[in-house]
Amino acid sequence: MSEEILKALTQLFAIISKQDGGVSDNERGFALNFFQQELEKSAIDEYLKLYDTISGYSEQVGKHIDDRSNQPTSVKDSIRTLAICKKINKTLTQKQKVVVLIKVLELVSSDKQFTNQRMEIVNAVSTVFNIIKEEYRLIESFVVSERVDSLDFNDILIADEGTEKSAPLQKHLHAHVDGHLVFMHVRSVEMYFVKYLGKDANNLNGFIMKPGRVYLFSQGSIVKTPDGGALYYSDLIADFNDEIQTIKLSFKATVEEFAFRNGTIGLRNVKINEGPGKLIGIMGASGAGKTTLLNILAGLEKPGKGSIKINGFDIHKDKNKVEGVIGYVAQDDLLIEELTVYQNLYYNAKLCFAKVPESEIQERVMKVLRDLGLDHRKDLKVGSILDKQISGGQRKRLNIALELIREPAILFLDEPTSGLSSRDSENVIDLLKELSLKGKLIFVVIHQPSSDIYKMFDKMIIMDTGGYPTFYGNPVQAITYFKKATNQVDSNRGQCEVCGNVNPEQIFNIIEARVVDEYGQPTNKRKVTPMQWHEMFRNQFKPSLVEDTREEPPKTLHLPSRLKQTIIFTTRNFLSKISNRQYLLINLLEAPLLAVLLAFIIKYKSAPDGKEYIFRYNENLPAFMLMAIIVALFMGLTVSAEEIIRDRKILKRESFLNLSWNSYLLSKLAILFLLSAIQTLTFIVIGNWILEIHGMTWTFWFVLFTTSCFANVLGLNISAAFNSAVTVYILIPLLLIPQMILSGVIFDFDKLNELFSTKGKVPLVADLMTSRWAYEAMAVRQFKTNEYQKAYYEYEREESRADFKSAYLAVELKKRNQFLIDNLENKTDTIQKLIISNKRILYYELKNETFKEGITQLDLKDMFVGSGYSREIGNLLETYFDTYKKHYQQVYNTNADLIEKKMAFYEQQGFDIQKEKNEFFNESLSDLVRNINTKERIMEYKGQLVQNINPVFQSLNPKNVFDYRTAFFFPEKNLLGQTLSTYSFNLLVIWCMTLLLYLTLYFELLRRLINIVEKVNLSVKKSG
Amino acid sequence: MRLIAIGIIALLLGSCSSGKKPDEQAFLESLDSTRTAGPGVDEEVINSILEQIPSPIEISMLLKESGSKYNEAILNSSNNLPKYNSNYKKALNLGVYGTDLGYTNIFGRNQDGIKYISAIKSLADELNIGQFFDIATIGRLATNSKNLDSLLLITTMNFNQINHYLQSQSRDNLSVLLLTGGWLEAMQITCQTAVNNPENAELKETIGEQKIILEQIMLLFTFYQGDENMVGLSTDLDSLKKAYDKININYTYKESTMEIVNGVAVIKDNSTTTIDITKENVDEIKDIINQIRTKIIS
Repeated sequence: MSEEILKALTQLFAIISKQDGGVSDNERGFALNFFQQELEKSAIDEYLKLYDTISGYSEQVGKHIDDRSNQPTSVKDSIRTLAICKKINKTLTQKQKVVVLIKVLELVSSDKQFTNQRMEIVNAVSTVFNIIKEEYRLIESFVVSERVDSLDFNDILIADEGTEKSAPLQKHLHAHVDGHLVFMHVRSVEMYFVKYLGKDANNLNGFIMKPGRVYLFSQGSIVKTPDGGALYYSDLIADFNDEIQTIKLSFKATVEEFAFRNGTIGLRNVKINEGPGKLIGIMGASGAGKTTLLNILAGLEKPGKGSIKINGFDIHKDKNKVEGVIGYVAQDDLLIEELTVYQNLYYNAKLCFAKVPESEIQERVMKVLRDLGLDHRKDLKVGSILDKQISGGQRKRLNIALELIREPAILFLDEPTSGLSSRDSENVIDLLKELSLKGKLIFVVIHQPSSDIYKMFDKMIIMDTGGYPTFYGNPVQAITYFKKATNQVDSNRGQCEVCGNVNPEQIFNIIEARVVDEYGQPTNKRKVTPMQWHEMFRNQFKPSLVEDTREEPPKTLHLPSRLKQTIIFTTRNFLSKISNRQYLLINLLEAPLLAVLLAFIIKYKSAPDGKEYIFRYNENLPAFMLMAIIVALFMGLTVSAEEIIRDRKILKRESFLNLSWNSYLLSKLAILFLLSAIQTLTFIVIGNWILEIHGMTWTFWFVLFTTSCFANVLGLNISAAFNSAVTVYILIPLLLIPQMILSGVIFDFDKLNELFSTKGKVPLVADLMTSRWAYEAMAVRQFKTNEYQKAYYEYEREESRADFKSAYLAVELKKRNQFLIDNLENKTDTIQKLIISNKRILYYELKNETFKEGITQLDLKDMFVGSGYSREIGNLLETYFDTYKKHYQQVYNTNADLIEKKMAFYEQQGFDIQKEKNEFFNESLSDLVRNINTKERIMEYKGQLVQNINPVFQSLNPKNVFDYRTAFFFPEKNLLGQTLSTYSFNLLVIWCMTLLLYLTLYFELLRRLINIVEKVNLSVKKSG
Repeated sequence: MRLIAIGIIALLLGSCSSGKKPDEQAFLESLDSTRTAGPGVDEEVINSILEQIPSPIEISMLLKESGSKYNEAILNSSNNLPKYNSNYKKALNLGVYGTDLGYTNIFGRNQDGIKYISAIKSLADELNIGQFFDIATIGRLATNSKNLDSLLLITTMNFNQINHYLQSQSRDNLSVLLLTGGWLEAMQITCQTAVNNPENAELKETIGEQKIILEQIMLLFTFYQGDENMVGLSTDLDSLKKAYDKININYTYKESTMEIVNGVAVIKDNSTTTIDITKENVDEIKDIINQIRTKIIS
């Protein structure tokens, strides 16, 4: 209190006591007492002198008491009073004014002289102080009255031995008190006062209460009766609060034992029972399991043995019953850094209140922002830790706001004050206190709280190393408890006598006190082990009983439909992406830059004369296509790999809302697919433009887009499964390099380790590779349908097949037939084996042959599978193969002729075939898809003849409807008996793979697998 | 952003091809009227004629012996490769390049030779006769200049195999074109050399001698009356024949005599052949050959 104010007060006291016959000794005594409390010894005399002068005490000595009745208040005094009150009005807060008013009333009541003049002045004071009439009445009655039954107010609570209220409006609490403890609640300033009417030596915060005097009942205060009973601030507040009285909420946690994944015990024997309207702190040395306890209470982790029940519903078993009841604020920021303060809160609200109209949501958001003092910061971007736009305290408050806006009944906060200034810390705890007063149950892990903060808690749970609870109860009580337990001096005083401060550090000093060796050096051994503390705790504390309600807990949550959630998520995601300029710029420029770089570098004067660029002779086209696919994969992976990791914290918070995981994932995909579509489009448009690849833009784009989408989902998978971005980025090469190895372009599928390769077919292991499907789709499509080739493809195909049959197959089959004829009588085992295999090959080839001139009458099965083969048949086949050869030569020539004619036809029509071929056809790609450089154009592999040349011209010959396998660059594929073009089939395969990956993502299979592997690893270590 | 969008749209529109081709139906309709039967020539007949046509390498040998200098300009540049899209052109120019390869081989011009090998390989692949060129072997040989001789030799020899193969595959028309192309190129080289060396009688004589070959080639072409391209070439060859008609080959028959040389009886052919060919004749032939060849290689 400033000197000025004290002077003003002194004058006020003096003026009042002067009225109606002068100062009584009682009044002077009260004033003296007041000065003694507020002032140093040396200053007391000065003020007392002032008091005496104004009140006229010095003149009055020796005069008669009778004179001092019915003299009207002098005008001078009245004016003086008003002037003093105005002065006080300007400097004191409303709370302080209430205190002043009470002091004044006490002064008046100190000798029970309630004359009109005095009361008029007091009344005038209260009017100038802007104290509401009703409240003044309440205060006056509370200070003045000496009988409880006259205090018929809603804001009065009487604690006594009785069981009944003494007046209808007042509240009552049963307690072992001699006489009555009267509590008053001044609503306008949220203050509580206490007064004792009785004869016992009751104790307020360790100091004796004088009967009849009014004390401020501040936060964390305790009233103790001589027989050891205690009345806690928090309990009384709850009793006062009508709101809390109507809330049905019970929280019961029993954790017998909780073990971490590695087997160490994290918590033991924790029992917590709480009702609504409590602010509960959790403290403990580091490693004592504070956060673990909080996470278990919040339901983030399952308690090993035990249960967490809200209103009797187990939060793990009856999840839907407690949905949205719990709020959780983690220690880290759970903000979307790219969004503004307002947007963060707004989208969160949108996800919580489906049924609230838009305008009201905006109002609520603004209200919460105002409540937290963030309204003038609402349009600032949250920013990252490094790029701070709002202060740490504001971030913290915003974090809390995210939970507050949906008003969960139970709120958990993990170190909400860490890293905040003491001012910000106090603001945050104030806010929480206010919430608890509204009936919320709030658990807070707190570290090194200041005295003020510490006292604000209703209860404190103190944990010791190893997860042992050592205290659970009133915070100030905790200090005395530990002091007492170690037999310290003044152990029954928790607070400082003079300033009322507590020192929570003391607790840990006591708990962790170490044994000192003979040289006075502290050793590693503790005086009292955690286990001993816990034993003590178990003997002394019994958890209070909380009424168990079986009602569904109160909740305000209404989740939007899944579709709406997807839309909200997507919008939020989209906004956060476009507000991150760096991210956007890099992602949008990456593709065109790579395209320019790649295409420009590999564009050379490819014409045979080396004078110009001709697409047809660009030998880099096959490599460019592979690079395009790798780029699509890479961009797809990198853009998605961090997505979920980055959101993990936000997901943790939102897990309490039980939002749809599917909606979340779909929103991710929507954004990522859009980005991939743009990236691949810019890439291929520029790449194709530079390399003059005509007419393939959309065809190539769709392949690359598909590939990129696959990579997106793959990236999300690893992003969901691993914990750090670094791990994920290390994984990317592991995923990409196999795609390159088994793309079929860098390494020939026929030249792989025989463990993997199947001659004439793409190896199964390569079928797992997107790159191979994408590349085949692109290459075959470009070759088959380019503007030049498409006119001749079917003819060339016929030509090529006929060529193969007449030039290779006929010779091969004839040779084998000759072998059969030559060895008809040979019975040796090796020859027999060869005969069987030759027969099988002949049977297989002839069975599928459509041209059977001259052998239609033969029963192939009997000949080659049975024993029907004879020399005559052999000779018949011999001639058949000649006609077979002739026939296919004919077919070849016809088709070759048709191609010539078609070219001539087009030339007649005015088309420039050469120009067209130069623009649309690529020799290197043609060589690749025709496998022109193979040495063995036909070979025997596992009892079958395999055609290696011209895969792109071959036709399907599936073994069964499920046989989809073909050689690389086959033009068609078998899909359950249907023939599908390679382009469609391959893209379908990639989309199926994408869908499959989406399912693994949805069920988080990879994450589960990793968890299993980790477990196995640990148990191996243990047993080893 | 808007600029990018406009750019993308412009690019997309630009990348669309213009000019619509007539569809398959139109082509098939056009076919019905022009469709003709295939060659239907007896293989034996063709073979007997083909065998008389000297292979390109033989002609090239003559040039070397004539003492003329290597002249790259008279060859068909391998850069013309993109121009050959029909089988007709491919086969003819495969022959042309074969001769050119032989020519570079004889003069030891390895670098040029490799270009021709690559062009030949490319044409052969497109004609479905690429199997005669094992690119791995060729590549290996090509890495060392010492191997070039054998490389060229292999390639040249492959021509004989190809000829044989084409005949066995009833694609004798290609075989005829291949040899015609080779012969025409040889003629071109010989004529150009002859014009540059007017004193060289031997060259002139060689040119004159080709009258017989030409007649045989033209005889072959009569079998392919149904093939428009071959008929066209045959007409061109007719004009060449007219020029050759001005040249007389006199064959004087004399009884053969038997002589004893070193105690061994040898039959001596006393018949002589004289060829009447003037510089003007050579010039005329040169011009016609040049015309035909220009048509073929462009």
